[in-house]
Amino acid sequence: MSDLKTRIKEVIIESLELEDITPADIVDSAPIFGKNAAGEGLGLDSIDALELGIAVKENFGVTFSTVKEETKKHFASVDALAAYISANSKG
Amino acid sequence: MKPAAGRIFFTAISVLYPLIVYCGLEYWGLTPRRLSIVLLALAFYHFLNFTQSKSHAERGRTAIFVVLIFVCAFVAFFADNILFVKFYPVLVNLSLLSFFGFTLWKPPSFAFRMACLHDMSLEKSPSFKAVERYSRKVTVAWCFFFIVNGSIAAFTVFVGSYEIWTLYNGLISYILIGIVFIAEYLVRKMVQNKMQSYVPVCDLELDSRPNGALVSFGSGVDAANAEDVAANVAGLKTWGDFVSDVSKVRYYLESRENTPWILHCEDSYYFTVSLLAMLQSGRKALVTANRQEAFIKEIKKPEYGFITDEPFASGVLNADEMPATLIQDVLAGKCAEGKCIDDKCAPLKFGKFDKSKAEMVMYTSGTTGEPKAVYKRFLQFENELFELVKVFGNDWVNRNVYSTVNHHHIYGLLFTALLPIATGLPFRRHRIDFPTELANIAGDAAVIASSPAFLKRLSAETDKAIAFKCPPIIYSSGGPLPEDVARKTSELTGYWPMEIYGSTETGGIAYRQSKNGPVWTPFEVCKMSVAENGCLNIKSSYILEAEGFTTGDLVDLYDDGRFLLKGRSDSIVKIEEKRISLPEVENRLKQTGLVQDVRVVPMMGKRQYLAAAIVLNEAGREKFAGLPKLTINNFFHDHLLKFIENTVSPKKWRYLEELPQNTEGKIRMRDIQSLFGLAESPNFKILKFRREPGVLTAKLLFPATSDYFDGHFPEFKLLPAVVQVDMVLRLARNFLDVPKELSKMNRTRFANPILPDVPVMVKITYDADAGKVTFAFTSVDGEIPYSNGSLIMNAADSSADEVANRG
Repeated sequence: MSDLKTRIKEVIIESLELEDITPADIVDSAPIFGKNAAGEGLGLDSIDALELGIAVKENFGVTFSTVKEETKKHFASVDALAAYISANSKG
Repeated sequence: MKPAAGRIFFTAISVLYPLIVYCGLEYWGLTPRRLSIVLLALAFYHFLNFTQSKSHAERGRTAIFVVLIFVCAFVAFFADNILFVKFYPVLVNLSLLSFFGFTLWKPPSFAFRMACLHDMSLEKSPSFKAVERYSRKVTVAWCFFFIVNGSIAAFTVFVGSYEIWTLYNGLISYILIGIVFIAEYLVRKMVQNKMQSYVPVCDLELDSRPNGALVSFGSGVDAANAEDVAANVAGLKTWGDFVSDVSKVRYYLESRENTPWILHCEDSYYFTVSLLAMLQSGRKALVTANRQEAFIKEIKKPEYGFITDEPFASGVLNADEMPATLIQDVLAGKCAEGKCIDDKCAPLKFGKFDKSKAEMVMYTSGTTGEPKAVYKRFLQFENELFELVKVFGNDWVNRNVYSTVNHHHIYGLLFTALLPIATGLPFRRHRIDFPTELANIAGDAAVIASSPAFLKRLSAETDKAIAFKCPPIIYSSGGPLPEDVARKTSELTGYWPMEIYGSTETGGIAYRQSKNGPVWTPFEVCKMSVAENGCLNIKSSYILEAEGFTTGDLVDLYDDGRFLLKGRSDSIVKIEEKRISLPEVENRLKQTGLVQDVRVVPMMGKRQYLAAAIVLNEAGREKFAGLPKLTINNFFHDHLLKFIENTVSPKKWRYLEELPQNTEGKIRMRDIQSLFGLAESPNFKILKFRREPGVLTAKLLFPATSDYFDGHFPEFKLLPAVVQVDMVLRLARNFLDVPKELSKMNRTRFANPILPDVPVMVKITYDADAGKVTFAFTSVDGEIPYSNGSLIMNAADSSADEVANRG
């Protein structure tokens, strides 16, 4: 599971061409988009969301529901995304 | 009697009138009735004048005067009353008062009409307004005098004896008039000394100035230092030298075919001599600040001449391919080609030229885009010089001109080469490069043409006010001068810098001192309007195109022609459909109080985004000392999100020691953008850089934590040669558009080790034709060479890994 999370973090960094950030800097439970009350999170925006959606599909072979709210839940954090991928991955 | 003789006769009677009356009464025993005949005669004389006066208003005025004299004469005659005989001087004062007063009401004032009669060129001189203002004051003074004098005259009519009346009106009053005349003459001389003399550059002749008048001087400052004194003596040039040097260059130019000449001289004196010679000989002058071989090749056609004051380093330039004429050789009479004048008897060639035919080309980089040639007729400069002397000239009297800017660009050209020549103010031949040099000229009354770049450095590096004997006049142009820098400059020098807003295409447009607010006052000849895209359009006598020139600057234009600049039109960008003003993001970042300077630029990668290049101030450096870059990024990102949407908040960040400027002191968007083209890694940092065509200089730092030092060597970390070459290639590809692959390394030497955490300088040049990249790593002060060499690039697809193999 922790391998998958590291892989997810790498995909985030590579696909969005993030600078100055390493997988170790990303907190598993912190929001990917925006930030939480504690100020944690990657602070990505809605344009990044589209890009990341495509990257996750390509890298992990999972598809997402067209229902926006549901998809949003899966992208809440690296933890949530890892859980969704391991549950839905065909491989 | 002839009219002239009659005029003199009656004027004499008018002047001697008090004496005639006195003698008549005291010695000749005449009655007031008989004396009134004299008055009557004067009345007739004035009546004749009245019939000859032309203007309507003038006739009305004299009519009243004539009627009043007649009335006095008649009353005196019929009543045999001496009182009315004595009224004449009062009436004369009244008449003069009404005459002078009338010209105040309907200008030009009387004194100004007289001044114009005296000096016909006055109406065409830039001091026109100043003389007019002064003449008005003189006219007012005379009116005041006539009121006082007339009142005293009236007083003597009613009070006191004939003697007192005669003494005052026949003597004292005339003495007073004489005193006022002399006083005015003295004041006028004083005022004239405070007015800037001026001769249009195209009208300069051999005898425009005295032969011994100082034209330029060297940069030695210390009177106690023999070298400094020698430098100064060698640098001194008088009008006689100037005329003779221009003449020598003219003989040289005119002995050769009439072709355009490229001009680059670092020394302002040589520059001005060469330029004037070209203009007077009718040679088109291509004035370039950039002397890089690649650039010169680009603008130089084979037949063009090239005059300069610095020989190219041997080997850099192929002499056959690009012959350059050294002006020193021409002046010394030993040039290889063409004719040099060594005959001392040859007549001096120096004189007027046709300003509307003389051609020049200037090169501008602008804030974006490639270097661009801007075509000029000298007429445009001449018109602008006139305007500058009109607005600022009287501040310059008896000052020396200093410069911190390059005279190959329009602002430097006007302020530090052409203006001194047109006004006769001596100029220093060499630029002031360092703010510390200002202390050396503190004893001199100076005009300093400077720029925001220099003044920023001055205010950052100087704590103590410079003890100027008299505060210098400082101009700033090339970009907006931040108000805090202007304030600090004023604290340090005693003068709040005068900013000039303009461009190569338009010349000077407007001026301001930001202590009086951010609004710009246009030069009188500039007609402002707002173009369709909201940008400022200018029409003026220094723009040849009838439709004027539209700048890239957004503007708020007021009814009186003054205006406020709202940033560049390209400063509003769309990021993923969202409009954002770059200056707004920059200002929000400055709000943190941690940022000294910042540029935000739009970037295009997989998506559109903004990127920010930041120079931290002292508070910022203190706050973030030792913190990882991500923490600093997050701090600014979090701050911005309070004001703007996440999408338009910068995604990438760079922290530099200073923002990159070109030779004009401008920060180009293109340069900042290319900084983000090279992904930053924890392995190296770019602290500052400067990009000119074909050349990159950068200050780099390799932190001890950098992967580059891994295993190289555990006991003694130093930067591997392969990394240095790889770094050169990465920088060259990113900043200098070197598209080719490395094919060969030449003459590469690694002299001294580059250690972790020690900043280094690297200079990389790229010769596109030869496909050659040359590099040199040195210490920051340039004293220690670390490594240097050259790399041959090949369009053929050779492997980039080759570098690694060779390292």
